[in-house]
Amino acid sequence: MSTLSHIANTVAQQAGEALTADEQKSIAGASGAGMAYGLGAIGPGIGIGYLVGQAVQAMARQPESAGQVQTTMFLGIAFTEALALIGFVVFILLKFV
Amino acid sequence: MLAVLSTIAAEGGAHAEEVINPVIPENPEMIWGGIAFFLLLILMNWVLLPPIKQAMRKRSEQIRGDEEAAERALVDSEQVRRDYDATLAEARAEASRIVDEARQSAEAQRAEIVRAAEDEVATLRQAALAELDAERSAALGSLRTDVAAIAVAAASKVVQQPLDVSANQAVVDQFVSSADSKA
Amino acid sequence: MFAAEGGGGVKFPGIKEMVEWPAFLFKDNELLAFNKVALISFIAMAIPVVWFLVAGSKAKKSLVPAGPQNLAETSIEFIEKQVIGQAIGPDGMRYLPLLLSMFLFILFGNLFGIIPTSHFGANARMANPVVLALLTWLVFIGVGVKHNGPRYFKDALFPPGVPKALYLLVTPIEFISTFLVRPFSLSVRLFANSLAGHILLITFSVLSATLFAKSLLVAVMPFSFFMLVAFTGFELLVAFLQAYIFSLLTAVYIGGALHPAH
Repeated sequence: MSTLSHIANTVAQQAGEALTADEQKSIAGASGAGMAYGLGAIGPGIGIGYLVGQAVQAMARQPESAGQVQTTMFLGIAFTEALALIGFVVFILLKFV
Repeated sequence: MLAVLSTIAAEGGAHAEEVINPVIPENPEMIWGGIAFFLLLILMNWVLLPPIKQAMRKRSEQIRGDEEAAERALVDSEQVRRDYDATLAEARAEASRIVDEARQSAEAQRAEIVRAAEDEVATLRQAALAELDAERSAALGSLRTDVAAIAVAAASKVVQQPLDVSANQAVVDQFVSSADSKA
Repeated sequence: MFAAEGGGGVKFPGIKEMVEWPAFLFKDNELLAFNKVALISFIAMAIPVVWFLVAGSKAKKSLVPAGPQNLAETSIEFIEKQVIGQAIGPDGMRYLPLLLSMFLFILFGNLFGIIPTSHFGANARMANPVVLALLTWLVFIGVGVKHNGPRYFKDALFPPGVPKALYLLVTPIEFISTFLVRPFSLSVRLFANSLAGHILLITFSVLSATLFAKSLLVAVMPFSFFMLVAFTGFELLVAFLQAYIFSLLTAVYIGGALHPAH
């Protein structure tokens, strides 16, 4: 993200206008926000995919325990998803605050 | 957690007047949301849920009672069916016994009648035979007598003098019996 | 902010326009300013109340459920079977009013995020999730203390069967994960899901509206409009799922406090 803001800085300086502190902050914030959410979504994405896949496999192998597997699957999704959502909150904090 | 968040909020507020922090809960919204939720919780606990739960319980009890009654009725009907089957089998056995008895008695009666008829037939036949025999022997006797008389008459014609019938009777009889045995 | 300059005339609203609503009652009061979010909270409270009142008055009359009573019983049975039955067990039926209230309050609060003319979920502000998560936090600690006494904290912080030396590592982790992260993750999960849905809908609405106004790009408009419709359906699913997950997690925490052995 620092690379991005650095590039933005150089571009702006070459255009001949110095950036104010607020503008620099918003540039850094925006690029950091995108980075934060993008990185934060990778792990939970893989995790939820794996989790649901395994749950489907379990339900296919033992259809009689499908109800319990489903509940546990939702719990697991909720816990895993929390990471992605914290990434989203960080995005909000970086971008807008 | 809240303390940390509120310091963040304070920093955010210090930086710029315009920018707001959406992650920080606002007091009025928390208060009104809390009032709404606790109102719902209290009403749910004491006003809303009891009648519905009671209706559900009553219904499930009634369904259970109905199911038990149906179960009992099924058992009863099974019992009735068994009784009916037993009675039916008994009646069948009785009927076949009666039929058998009737058949046996009819058989016996028939045999009795047949025997009586046979007896009667035999008696009649005996009587007829006896009568026939009597007739025959009578006829035979008279024939013998006649034959003797005729023979004697014929002989007396032949010898031109009367012959004593009784004297020649023995000869004729002897001849007739020899003819009988030949025949 | 930035999109306005780079996006060729597409003007995305700032966060203030997206989530902040002016008060229209008690405007000057610091604590009781009544705005749209508070109104939605009250409507989300009023709908289940009216609905269950109608259902209850019908339930007294006839044994055969119909209409609202059917729906009410379906939701009660859903909470009983899918939430309490799976997460606590038969001894958790006492928490039915709490869990059912949470489920319905969150569900209707979320549904206002996709109902036209409202288009803002009550849970897309941090206030309601925080209140509910703090209530959950208090309830599960209270249940643990009530049923197990002070042993609850001992079992929660020093799980039995762990070597003594590991307590140095385990106890801080257990403390943070049980008593700090739980309410935080509960509230953030609900809030962030609602807000993300709200921002998604805003994004595609703004795209549709802008593309409709511009000349040539109107050809692309159906795609963003289709995405808008699709995400509205998706938000319907999310509204239900988040209400379910919130009450399910509350039930799991209560169940863990009731039976700390496992």
